[in-house]
Amino acid sequence: METLLLDSSKFIELNFQAVGFLFIVGFIGGLVSGFIGSGGAFVLTPGMMSLGVPGTVAVASNMCHKFPKALVGAIKRFRYGQVDIKLGLIMAASAGVGVQLGIMIQQAVLGRWGQAGSNLYVSLSFVAVLVIVGGYVMMDAVKCSRCGGEEKTSNLAKRLQKIELWPMITFKVSGLRISLWFTVPVGLATGLLAATIAVGGFIGVPGMIYVIGASSLVASASELVVAFAMGLGGSVNWALHGMVDIRLVLIILAGSLLGVQLGAIGTTYVRENMIKAVMATIMLIVAVSRAIAVPQYLVQLGLMDVSEGSLGIMSNVSFAFMCLALLVGSVIILGAMWKARRAEAAAYAKA
Amino acid sequence: MAQSSGGKKPILKTIVFGLFSVALYAAAFSYGDTLTALFSRGSFWAAGPIATVFAFSYAHGAFASNLWTCLGIEASRARATKRPEVRPQPRATLNA
Repeated sequence: METLLLDSSKFIELNFQAVGFLFIVGFIGGLVSGFIGSGGAFVLTPGMMSLGVPGTVAVASNMCHKFPKALVGAIKRFRYGQVDIKLGLIMAASAGVGVQLGIMIQQAVLGRWGQAGSNLYVSLSFVAVLVIVGGYVMMDAVKCSRCGGEEKTSNLAKRLQKIELWPMITFKVSGLRISLWFTVPVGLATGLLAATIAVGGFIGVPGMIYVIGASSLVASASELVVAFAMGLGGSVNWALHGMVDIRLVLIILAGSLLGVQLGAIGTTYVRENMIKAVMATIMLIVAVSRAIAVPQYLVQLGLMDVSEGSLGIMSNVSFAFMCLALLVGSVIILGAMWKARRAEAAAYAKA
Repeated sequence: MAQSSGGKKPILKTIVFGLFSVALYAAAFSYGDTLTALFSRGSFWAAGPIATVFAFSYAHGAFASNLWTCLGIEASRARATKRPEVRPQPRATLNA
């Protein structure tokens, strides 16, 4: 094979620490994605950028590792009977339109307020969506755990399912029938959020649970189908522009394919409200992380005055909170699996 | 972590897919810089990273799945709702 020179402005030199960091974050991110359907990869983009990878290459490489991970996770959870392919594909199709809408909004913000304005818009969207949706999911998870961990279909979903608006679609795995017109907005919002903060699942999974009426298990598993379809489309687009660093992708995949299967196995052990609890915990910690990052964009826009040193500290603390979100999520998942396994082993020993 | 089903462990499969995965990684990283440079050309080279990740996710994904099974980490027998292997066939009935 001919030897080609690597463009050092786009692709970094790999060292042992970088490989170790990407493998471990890939594993933990995979574990979280396999369990809640998404949200495991948001640390990777800033993580890669902290290693010196340019932003566009980091985003492209992250996306290129996400779709095969989602595929492997979806196959695993399909075997457990948790994936509603029809729901996932309808969501993915409408999310595709949502992504285009999101890009148009981003471009409008970028054109009017510049890069700092765009960053501020992204961070504020992050904080607003994660606090509102994450807070609601957390409240529901707490309420659910007090009632023994059994899930009930939300009143909104029950009402929407009763409205006979053509075309009605039956989702056999989810065990529900609802008009297409109520699934499309959830998909659009997922795509819009994916284009804005790169984690559409933070809207997609709660949307499938509270608006469409799917269970947490089916919603989180079907989100993997959405992530696969959207990730594949996005990766092809980035690859056409030559932005994917295949070395980074393969290192992250080495860890994430181990993690995503462990997370998928974990869903068979825990009660459904545990999925909500993990998702809400991660969302709320990430919201704190993004809130800490907001002042730097306000400074860039000339709306606030903070010293360089303080901004540097805030940036590091913000990244640390992102890592903490993933770590806390993975500890809850592994702890819940461990507890459930012990309870099951004890039950089998008695029988 | 999870409990073993007590069945036969797929040790041979784990080794075969493990070796396959290691071989793929060794091949890719022996020519890591060259591959990355080629795939960064874009255009029809875009098929490169997509095909590569599919190949790796097949080999490494199968290895990971078998590895967890070998380590006794499997789906809960009590809660997993396994998909039936074969679709139930409708039976012809005669209403006399």
